[in-house]
Amino acid sequence: MLVFAFLFTSVLLPSVDYLERKIKSRGLSVLIITVALCATLVVFLGSFAANFFEQASSFSSRLNEEHTMDNLNMFMEKIMDAMPNFVSEFKPDEAALAAKLQDIVKGVIQNLLTFAGKVGGFIFTSIMVIIFTIILLHEYHNFKRSLVRFIPNKYFEVGLRLIFNIERQISSYLRGQLLAASSVGIMSIIGLFILNLMGANLTLIVFIGIIAGLANLIPLVGPFVGMIPAILIAVMNNLGNEAAMNHYLFGVIPSWFYIFDIALMFLIVQQIDNNFVTPILVGESVGLHPIMVIIALLIGGTLLGPLGMLFAVPAAGVIKVVLQEISFVTKNAHLL
Amino acid sequence: MKNALWTNLFKGWQNTESQTVMTLKQVPIFRGLTNKEFREIEKLIHERTYKPQEIIFKQQARGEGMYIILSGEVEIYLEDDKGNKNILAVLRDGEFFGELSLLDAEERSATAAATKNTILLGFFRPDLLSLMERNAELGNKILLNLARVTSARLRKTNELLTEAQKS
Repeated sequence: MLVFAFLFTSVLLPSVDYLERKIKSRGLSVLIITVALCATLVVFLGSFAANFFEQASSFSSRLNEEHTMDNLNMFMEKIMDAMPNFVSEFKPDEAALAAKLQDIVKGVIQNLLTFAGKVGGFIFTSIMVIIFTIILLHEYHNFKRSLVRFIPNKYFEVGLRLIFNIERQISSYLRGQLLAASSVGIMSIIGLFILNLMGANLTLIVFIGIIAGLANLIPLVGPFVGMIPAILIAVMNNLGNEAAMNHYLFGVIPSWFYIFDIALMFLIVQQIDNNFVTPILVGESVGLHPIMVIIALLIGGTLLGPLGMLFAVPAAGVIKVVLQEISFVTKNAHLL
Repeated sequence: MKNALWTNLFKGWQNTESQTVMTLKQVPIFRGLTNKEFREIEKLIHERTYKPQEIIFKQQARGEGMYIILSGEVEIYLEDDKGNKNILAVLRDGEFFGELSLLDAEERSATAAATKNTILLGFFRPDLLSLMERNAELGNKILLNLARVTSARLRKTNELLTEAQKS
C-alpha cells in the first residue's frame, strides 16, 4: 500500500507543486489533483466495465448461434492448412472443441465470481492508498525534513545530496515513462482507428490504446502485452465475418481476423516510440546500460512478477545513485 | 476565568514569530520577504546542533548550501598540510556562511567548525531549487538578494586587491 502511495506521490508531486504555485494553497492543490484523478479513474473504469460487459454479452450471444461452431472449425482448418502435415493430424473433433469452449466459459464465470469477492478488499486498499497519497502529497516537504533530521552532522550534506539525486532520478524516470506511455496510447488509438477504416471491425479502441500505453510502462515485455486485448477483440468481433477470415496482409500474407495487421501496427508504434519518442522524453534519465536493464527486469520479474518488472528499472536507477554516492564518499572520506 | 472557546479561537491571532524567523530576518539573503514568505522559508530550514570543535564542513568538500548561526560561535579557517590553522573569521549569532554553495556544487574554500555548543540553521540548494519551481516569485527574491550579497563581496575583494597592489 505504502509503495503505491509513494509511487503516486512521486508522479503527482510536480502537478501539486505547480498548482500550489498558481493558487498559493497546498491543501487545495492536493484536493483538486486527487479529486480530478479519482474522477478520471472512476469514469474510465465505469465506462470500460460497461463497454466490456456489453462486448462480452454480445460475444456470448453469438457463441450460442449454430454457425459459430462452423466458423471456428473453418478457422481451425485454415490454421491447420498453413501448418506442416504432422501438426494437422492433431486436429480435434467438433465435440471436444465445444466441450473445451464450455469449460472456458465456465472458468470465466467462476473467475468473475472470485473477482467480485475480491472487489471489497480492493476498494478498501484503494481508499487507504488514496488517503496515504493525500497525506504524503500534503506533508511531503515536512516529511522529508523530519527524515533528514536523523542524519548525523558528519554525513548531513552527503545525505541531502543523495536524497535530492534519488528524488530527481525517480521523478524524471516516472515523468518520462508516463509521457512515453501516453504517446504509445495515442499512437495505438490512431493505428487501431486506421485498421478500422480498413475493415478490422475493432471496438473499445480507446481502452485498448490506454491498456497498450499502460502496459508500455513495463519495459521489453509491455509492448507484447499491449497487443493481446486488440487481437482478442478482433477475434471476438469478426467470428462469422468471411471477409475478416479471408483477409490477407498486403494481399500476400494470410492475416485471419486482421491478427498480423494488428501486430504490425503495434510493431510500428513500438519502433516510433523506441527510436523517436522515448530517447527524447526519457533520454538518459536513468542512464543504465541496456544489459543492466534486462538483468534488473529479470530479477524484478522473478521476485515480484509483473509488479517487480514495473519497479525494476527505477529501483536499479536508485541503487546506481546510492552506489555512486558511496563511491564518492569512500574516495573523499578525508573531507567528511 | 478564561473562556476556553474564545481563547482557542483567537490563539492564532497572536502571530508570534519563532526564533528561526527572527534570525532569518537579520540575514540579507532573505531581505524584503513578507511574513508569509518567511513562514514558507521556515519550512525549508534544517536546524542542526553542533558540539564544540565539531566540524560543520571541510575545505574542498562539495558544498550543498548555507548556514545561519542561531546561537553559538563558528570558526572559519584554512588548514595547511601540516595541520596549521589560519583563522579567517569567527562568526556569531545571526551571521551566515557558505552562501555561494546555494548557486553551485563547487568545493568549499575553507573549513567551518563550531567553537561552542552551536545551533545552526541550514538552507540548502536542493530546497532552493524546489522552491524556485513551486514559488518562482519568492525564489527570484532570494536569488536577487544572493546576487547583491555576492556583488558586495566581490566589490570588497576588488578594493582589498587594489589596496594590496598599491602598497
